[in-house]
Amino acid sequence: MKRPRLSREAWIGLSLASTYLVFTAIFWAYPFFWLAKLSVTQWRFFDDPVFTGTRNLVLTVQDPQFLQALWNVLRFLAMYVPIAFGGALVVAFGLQHVGRGKAFVALCFLLSNVSSGVALSLVFTKIFSSTGPLNAVLFDLLGIRIPWTNHPTLAMLAIALVVAWKFVGYYGLILYSGLLTVPKEIYDAARLDRAGPLTRLVRITLPMINPQLMMVLVFAILVSFGLFTEPFLITGGGPADSTATPQMMIYETAFRRLQPSHAAMMSILVSAATYLLVLVARRLFERKVVLA
Amino acid sequence: MTARREVLQLALGGAALLAGCSSRRAEKRTDRIRLWVAPNEAEEGFWKIAVARWNGQGRGLPVSFTTIPTAGASEDTVLSALVAGTEPDLSTNIFSGFAVQLAALGQVENLAAMPGYAELVARRDMGAIVPGWTQSGQVCALPIYSSPTLLWWRTDLLEKHGFSAPPRTYDEVYAFCERYGVARSRYGMQVISGRGWADRWFDFISFYYAASNGAPYLEGGHALYDNAAGLQAAGFIDRMFRRGWTALDFDAEEPLVSGLAAGAVRGPWDVERFAKIYPETLARIAAGPIVSQTAGQGAGATFSDSKGVVIFKSSRVAREAFEFLSWVLGEEELNLLWLQRTGLSPARGDLLENPRFADYYRGNQIAQAYAEHVASAKPPALSEHTIDIQKIMTAKLVEPLMTGQRTPREALAEAAAATDQMLRVRA
Repeated sequence: MKRPRLSREAWIGLSLASTYLVFTAIFWAYPFFWLAKLSVTQWRFFDDPVFTGTRNLVLTVQDPQFLQALWNVLRFLAMYVPIAFGGALVVAFGLQHVGRGKAFVALCFLLSNVSSGVALSLVFTKIFSSTGPLNAVLFDLLGIRIPWTNHPTLAMLAIALVVAWKFVGYYGLILYSGLLTVPKEIYDAARLDRAGPLTRLVRITLPMINPQLMMVLVFAILVSFGLFTEPFLITGGGPADSTATPQMMIYETAFRRLQPSHAAMMSILVSAATYLLVLVARRLFERKVVLA
Repeated sequence: MTARREVLQLALGGAALLAGCSSRRAEKRTDRIRLWVAPNEAEEGFWKIAVARWNGQGRGLPVSFTTIPTAGASEDTVLSALVAGTEPDLSTNIFSGFAVQLAALGQVENLAAMPGYAELVARRDMGAIVPGWTQSGQVCALPIYSSPTLLWWRTDLLEKHGFSAPPRTYDEVYAFCERYGVARSRYGMQVISGRGWADRWFDFISFYYAASNGAPYLEGGHALYDNAAGLQAAGFIDRMFRRGWTALDFDAEEPLVSGLAAGAVRGPWDVERFAKIYPETLARIAAGPIVSQTAGQGAGATFSDSKGVVIFKSSRVAREAFEFLSWVLGEEELNLLWLQRTGLSPARGDLLENPRFADYYRGNQIAQAYAEHVASAKPPALSEHTIDIQKIMTAKLVEPLMTGQRTPREALAEAAAATDQMLRVRA
């Protein structure tokens, strides 16, 4: 049976697609398989990888520091999500009431998002210092000093505040785009039914912007598992590892302890945990919004 | 047909591009010695002169140097270069723990086995310093300079509160803090130096070395610091926090400048920093020893933040590189030039006796204080698990003392046990 000849268009299409395929093979597939191979071997940069099976997995799941780091992500989320959502909603509702220069105001909110995390961390390290300006004001007014970065819970709260400050504007714009899609007629009808502002918020606005809220929640989960710069620079993971994150552990294990295989297994587990949490969040909170 | 040819050309072009991108260990040159030096202006200036002299005098294989191409930690860059096969023959700016890691990976030469090693040690008067860099008879890095940690005190604040000289004992510090400290707004001294793993060198280990007269805190895979000296150092840290004579951190400002604290542990590199940024404060600084329970005779032991030089195993000109190294480190004139250019004391034991260096120290009291301690300053324990050890000290020892969660005895016992456990697992 004679095979059909490919047309000229098919060849062009194939060659164009091959660019993407080659790119994917080099920059996605190759690192991915190398990571998978690394995670089941013992390798120290210069020798040949030796297959060790589940050794790295066992080491990782038995490592109390790694488990603490995963727990820290959940602690961070518990503080970060309410702050970030609250702030983002304020930004979104605020933007609705801005008359002139809305684009300028929106851009201003994005400034914190595009600022360097390193610079932000250095500034906030000074602000939160036990002898810093914030504590000086508190001491003058109330006679107290708060150990923002030296108490396990407060240190995580301080980091959550810094990260929220960075992302609130960005999240706010996402929610604002959702608010624009809610038909005004629904609010008019609610007012006729004598629904108060809180009822309108809880029963209309939030359900109607569920896709945007879900997007922000997913972003928040991704930010939490990817957290590195702020805890690395502000608290160094302390006190007592209470702000150490999986990304910090992966970095230190790979490049400071020189155990890239162990770090590879950690990164796979962190990816799996991220995926799992996103899945759970979507199952729990995602709703279909249909405008009839 | 044309289309097929074009696709073929595209594929060949892509393959050529990929081939160009593929990793391939660079050819090692044998016509010159390649050297990496620390990326700072002062050290670069020294090496520029030293290398020019070597090359000009035609003493051996020519040397070419560049600064370590790094934006962050030198260690990361060196490691990346080793993986990529682009490392030089020699690299400076290597701390002892990293040198041990490199030795464990089989990446650096044992310098003690090089011809002329013993002569170099004798010529540079490194007899008292080299043992801190020797492990099982191997020397994987040779220290270029030794930077002891000392306590800086504001002399004007000391005098104002009845002290004519820097405190030398815990009791003297307590007495000063009683007079100088104001609850939650002014502190006797900065005790904790920071949050990173290396910061523990400048607090607990410095105080431990001072209390133990330089006894090691780790040996043969066992933590040794749960002892009387450890208890003294931990007790001092604990008491300073409990009495409110030090703050949890001083991240907001340089405490010596504002007088927020009157004393702080500082290294000799801070002399240059203060000279540039806070010259008025520097003029009022006196460097005293790291305090201990009782003041000893002569220079007390302290921590030495030294950086050394390694020769990579991959070098095809290792012998020639060591000849160059011997010349640079062994020449007194170059040692003096190093001192003048960088302000960092060369790692040699005769800095104050040798007339060659006398003039420099005569006019510089802070530098002299550091020079006095070069021979008695000890580097960190030679361990490839330095980071883990330091992190345990932070989480199990220093932070529980800061927050008052543990007594010094409990914190020491927990930290030492955790260190032993970690070393056992890693072994």
